[in-house]
Amino acid sequence: MAKSFKEALESGKFVVTAEVGPPKGTDIEEMLHHIDLLKDKVDGLNVTDNQSSVMRLSSISVSHIIKEKGGEPILQMTCRDRNRLALESDLISANILGVDNVLCLTGDYITVGDHVEAMPVFDLDSVLLLKTVRLLESGKDSGGNELKGAAKFCAGAIVTPEANPIEPQLLKFEKKIKAGAEFFQTQAIYDLDNFKKFMKYARQFNVKILAGIVLLVSSGMAKYMNANVPGIFVPKDLIDEMAGAEKGKALEKGIEIAGRMIKTLKDENICDGVHIMAIGKEGKVPDILAAAGLA
Amino acid sequence: MIVADRKPLEQISSMIEGNNKILIVGCGECVSVCMVGGEKEVEILASQLRMAAGKEGKKIELGEATLERQCDKEYLELLKDKIENYDVVVSMACGAGVQFLAEMYDHKIVLPATNTRFIGVTEGEGIWTERCRACSDCVLAETGGICPVTICAKGLLNGPCGGTNDGKCEVDKQKDCAWTLIYNRLNKLGRLDSIREIFPAKKYNVQTRPGRRIHEAFKEKE
Amino acid sequence: MQYAKKLLDEVGIDNRRVEMFNMGASDAQKFTGAADEMTERARELGPNPLRAKKP
Repeated sequence: MAKSFKEALESGKFVVTAEVGPPKGTDIEEMLHHIDLLKDKVDGLNVTDNQSSVMRLSSISVSHIIKEKGGEPILQMTCRDRNRLALESDLISANILGVDNVLCLTGDYITVGDHVEAMPVFDLDSVLLLKTVRLLESGKDSGGNELKGAAKFCAGAIVTPEANPIEPQLLKFEKKIKAGAEFFQTQAIYDLDNFKKFMKYARQFNVKILAGIVLLVSSGMAKYMNANVPGIFVPKDLIDEMAGAEKGKALEKGIEIAGRMIKTLKDENICDGVHIMAIGKEGKVPDILAAAGLA
Repeated sequence: MIVADRKPLEQISSMIEGNNKILIVGCGECVSVCMVGGEKEVEILASQLRMAAGKEGKKIELGEATLERQCDKEYLELLKDKIENYDVVVSMACGAGVQFLAEMYDHKIVLPATNTRFIGVTEGEGIWTERCRACSDCVLAETGGICPVTICAKGLLNGPCGGTNDGKCEVDKQKDCAWTLIYNRLNKLGRLDSIREIFPAKKYNVQTRPGRRIHEAFKEKE
Repeated sequence: MQYAKKLLDEVGIDNRRVEMFNMGASDAQKFTGAADEMTERARELGPNPLRAKKP
């Protein structure tokens, strides 16, 4: 991909992003393989930040690696582990390493991860982090000090179109836009009718929306997410379709479903692109793109 | 009031290990209300410690006293004579009381029998819940009387986060999502506007450690 | 009663040594039943550890 992520967003093309999860340690061989596999097939590659409160290689170091390899990293930054000083420092550090896309998140709580006794920081939240990014761009930090060299970012956030109740989520969505978000990657969606309703509301704002696509690997996974992951709702007909797949072919069925959804989103111009999350199955992303007719 | 839990008996026993003249001092205020360190609880702890000592065939001398409260010198002073008969004091007050007692009687070993938990309210019989984190910068006017610093697991000022579901918090599904509660309360009052604007980041420097407050009337004349 | 039993558990004394029985003042049958029950328990559990090791 020759274009930067920001250029891709502004070009009006159907944007595709994917995700890389850093390993829990210094052995980066598999991760490098995933980066090589994906970097030229997508407009942006998200790097998670101690995802699910599990200590991992930092998103800033991995984003730098992606940049060095000619890819377009999207630095994910949560507010769980660092105060505003450290976050600002990491943001300007990211810039000098050539990383200029950031996804601002509040972050999962400490106790869902593997360092349950650690202090949860949350000095800022996603809204304030976005505001801080824009402040750094103006040449100031949140202590009111002048910077020796301002930052520059394409900044975004997430939204959960199927949140229940939806009203507080939409209020927060509007605050994120007010704070400076220019793009959104959504939580995984499966019900296109519901998503269309959300997009009808979202279109009044001048932001780009990339629909979150999480690869289903089994009907059990769909049921698990319905029961346990806030804001994800897999409709019955998709669960049945997964369950009805030939033995040993569930993953293929999942790829087919993901491809079909992405194709519909593109053909019907429902949103501005997709963000593909194939956790643990990064190698299958090219197959999903092929199934969507985007390879 | 301040709510505390009593430390496990095992921990208290190991703290007093090697000493056999113990004075247990209760407090008549908060810890009495939350049934952890009042006169009755002093009796119970003394009884348990006597039994535990008896089991080991050890001799132990236990004194009991309960003060009005341990955060005021005038009440702590009342222990002056009695305390000399003991080597160790086990205070059942909150952390503030324990420290104040230790400060006044700094020639005695003073040990805490409780783990101070939070500032809270009596929700029901035997149930106390946290309501305030003493953050020194109260925002209850903007959040319809519901504290996001205390009730939100992450203490967010611009919530909810992505972990909210059906009004419950992802951290503990029994917990309510503070921001859903706040949204509903403000909606009911017709005051949602107060959370449409971005709440600025918390000023942590107003929470000095240790905190100090001097009433206007008692400030030193320049 | 449950709380009292927990307090005994904490000390390490078998909580079956204490029990609450509900009965009318003149209910001789219930009383003797309860007395028999506790006597049986005392036999089973042996001397109270506090008594046994009196210094």
